[in-house]
Amino acid sequence: MSLTELAFFALAVIAVATGLLALLVRELVHTILWIGIFFVDLSAIYFLLEAPFLGVLQLGVYAGAVTILLLFGIMVTRKRIFSRDAATGVGALPIALAVVTFVFLIGALGQLPGSAVPAASYSVTALSTLLFNTEAPYLLLLGLVMLAALAGAIYLVREGRE
Amino acid sequence: MTTLPVGDLVALASGLVAISIFGILTRRNFILLLIALEIGMNAAILTFVYFAAFPQCVTAATCHPLTGQAIAVVVIGLAATEVAVGLAIVLALHRIRGTTNVAEATTLQL
Amino acid sequence: MSGILASLFGWAFLVPLLPALAFIVIGLFGDRLRRLEHGGWIAVGAAFVSMVLAVLIALGEMASPDTYTSLSYTWLSLPANPTFPYGFSLVIGTLVDPLSSLMLIVVTVVGFLVLLYSIGYMHHEHGLSRYYAELSLFLTAMIGLVLSNNLLEFFLFWELVGVCSYFLIGFFYEKPSAASAAKEAFLITRIGDILFLLGIFIFFYVYASDGPAGLHWASSGFLFAYGNLPFLAGSLGANTPLLTIAGLCILAGAAGKSAQFPLHVWLPDAMEGPTTVSALIHAATMVAAGVYLLAMTSIFLGFTPTDQFAIVAIGGFTTLFAATMAVVNTDIKRVIAYSTISQLGYMVLAVGAGFAMVGLYHLFTHAFFKALLFLAAGSVIHAIGTQDLFKMGGLKRHLRVTGAAFAIGGLALAGIPPFAGFWSKDDILSSVYSVTGSHPEYWPFLLMAMAAVFLTGYYIFRVWFLTFSGDRIRDPTLPTPHEGPWVMQVPLIVLSGFAVGAGLLIFIPGFANLFLLPGGVTALGIPPTYGTTDILLSVLGVGLGGAGILTAWLLWGNGRVFQLPEGSVWSSARKVLVNRYYFKVAYDAVGAKAVYSVARAADFVDQFVMDGTVRGIEQLFSRISERMRRIQSGVVSDYAAYVVGGLLAVFVLLLLVGPYLVNRVGGG
Repeated sequence: MSLTELAFFALAVIAVATGLLALLVRELVHTILWIGIFFVDLSAIYFLLEAPFLGVLQLGVYAGAVTILLLFGIMVTRKRIFSRDAATGVGALPIALAVVTFVFLIGALGQLPGSAVPAASYSVTALSTLLFNTEAPYLLLLGLVMLAALAGAIYLVREGRE
Repeated sequence: MTTLPVGDLVALASGLVAISIFGILTRRNFILLLIALEIGMNAAILTFVYFAAFPQCVTAATCHPLTGQAIAVVVIGLAATEVAVGLAIVLALHRIRGTTNVAEATTLQL
Repeated sequence: MSGILASLFGWAFLVPLLPALAFIVIGLFGDRLRRLEHGGWIAVGAAFVSMVLAVLIALGEMASPDTYTSLSYTWLSLPANPTFPYGFSLVIGTLVDPLSSLMLIVVTVVGFLVLLYSIGYMHHEHGLSRYYAELSLFLTAMIGLVLSNNLLEFFLFWELVGVCSYFLIGFFYEKPSAASAAKEAFLITRIGDILFLLGIFIFFYVYASDGPAGLHWASSGFLFAYGNLPFLAGSLGANTPLLTIAGLCILAGAAGKSAQFPLHVWLPDAMEGPTTVSALIHAATMVAAGVYLLAMTSIFLGFTPTDQFAIVAIGGFTTLFAATMAVVNTDIKRVIAYSTISQLGYMVLAVGAGFAMVGLYHLFTHAFFKALLFLAAGSVIHAIGTQDLFKMGGLKRHLRVTGAAFAIGGLALAGIPPFAGFWSKDDILSSVYSVTGSHPEYWPFLLMAMAAVFLTGYYIFRVWFLTFSGDRIRDPTLPTPHEGPWVMQVPLIVLSGFAVGAGLLIFIPGFANLFLLPGGVTALGIPPTYGTTDILLSVLGVGLGGAGILTAWLLWGNGRVFQLPEGSVWSSARKVLVNRYYFKVAYDAVGAKAVYSVARAADFVDQFVMDGTVRGIEQLFSRISERMRRIQSGVVSDYAAYVVGGLLAVFVLLLLVGPYLVNRVGGG
């Protein structure tokens, strides 16, 4: 087992653990804590996969913005920040569905041969060249979607509706 | 960097998807629902990043080795947008219904 | 010039299209067009343009009468097969020939004048946009019927005018009598229509499966075309019984629409509709469609001798039968309605005796003077608000135009020269007389028609004297009458002109071209000839009519009211007539007993068999849906579970079922 694999293994265990904890803890604010760690952990995995730009992006967008946004959402919908949300019982069906999906995914993708090597031509410059040339339409579309989402979000939260 | 077997990564990604599905199906709090969705999204991004550097792809003429990462960038943007809209819905729901419990918000009408 | 007019033939479809557009516009926006009389002026305008086009087309036909322009679209085509050795095709299209252009003039001129009159007459009623929309639809259907180039299309428009008639009779649907009259008209004409359809089927069967060579009438889609000329030439001997039945079925259809005995009962009751509707639909155009059908059938298909006798019998009998009922009626509109039935009887008589064009000649003149009579009656009703003859009287001083118009219409109806009715009615009588040599069995019906001439003169002038003569109104509570607005007077004056001159038009050679048979053949009795016997017959006819008028004056003139002595044979005869020979009572009894028991049986089947099945199915589905609706909980998590379930199904298909199938196929 190589060092990379060892590191990946450790990070994967942390990811699964924090993901589960985020969903299972009773305190919503603790959830934010765990999901923050989860995002940082995934960022580390990206660095491991020789994708530092994405790693930084993950840190900035997810571990930074999204986490804060979620925390903010909890704060404005709660009278007291530390209040417990009654989690409903965990039924057999959801667990079964989750497990079966897991098995199928492993079965479908796990049979692929080989393993990844770092991209030889990798550089942030190459990525940005790609993004703003070949993939530019997608970027533009993303911009439009964001604009629409912005308008939609403002419409949803503006005062005096009804 | 040495190589990383496909099976390891697929195991992690599948596990995260399973957690995500589990969360979506069991959690009743809207914000937890959003978090569960984000976990699933991250699994997808992870897969994109990994398979971007997959050997078969590198040799194919039509496929740029960084395309997967480019898509991942777009997906991260989309996911962040989705969280913003989702939170806007949470706020609207909270103001109109006084709850963030999805089990109570069963009708689209006010 | 004639070339330019003839080029209009291809545009004949515009004539029905304009009222159709008016129908749509008025139907949709009529209520917002308050300043246009709720769309009334739109209807008038559309009818006016249609009329101009129709007149131009008729002028083209007069100039070059042989032109047939048929615009056809084949909507069903079947190749030859064992059942139909020549195959067949069904078409829809327009046929412009002299006859249809003649009918176009009748329909559009009367239609336009009646619509114009309506602007004044209907002004105070509610639901005007409905009225004008339905009247426009009627015009569309009637023009379409006239322009039909095949029997199926004809039937389609035939039913459409029937529906419009139903709507318009029931225009005052809040009134129970109007609603039931509409129903009555619809149901009774339906009896005729079903038989008519049966007749079409029989004709179709005979011609499509066993037509003589070169005569494949049905294979060319029931076309009204000269090449299909009658089987009476004799080559269809074996089919004669079948064709006789078909002809009788057509006769039944025509009798229903034209209110001939024994399907006559609906027309007097149809007077519940507005008077304008009576004038247009139940006097001038729609009821004449039955005669038109008979004429078309006799021209393009032919009737067997048995059929001809049946038609003569029904027509001849109806003339007298309806006239007797008109004699005693006290409702101004109903008297005119009975006279319509009687006059239609003359036309049927003529068509049956083999003089289709003579019948249509009478149709042409009758349309104008009968519309005139109805509109004049409408003017009276508009002025004093009652239809009871015995409440009227002395109106000629108040309603000068109306009185004169009614008198002109009455003289035309009574057959006094030179008014329009004289020429055509006289032509019918002398034509029928001319064939009594070879057909002595026509004699009784000719005599009935002659007797009806006397009664016609009597009853119509009884109405005139009761309404207009004398020095005072009998019912003092009625308001002081005054003439209607100009829109009501202009149609009266124009129609008066037609009632005077329409009969004489036939002596103009160009106009007589409109009565040419297909292929430019001159029709029997057109224009009328005047030999010694004809003149004697004319004198006899005018004498009878004049005698009728004289009798009316003796009994009712100058405000006199004639009363039959009580208890005599005459007063019991009168009772029979007032009760309309108990036909309505009998029909009601049959309806009540026979139909009701059938209806009860049907109701039983309906309730227990049909409804049982339907309810069973309904309960099955409602139970299923009761279960299914629980899926729609509205909880997001549940929906997410369904999505995941679908995802798993895709996995199963891709990973398990797919490879399995591939292996099976590949291995096999």
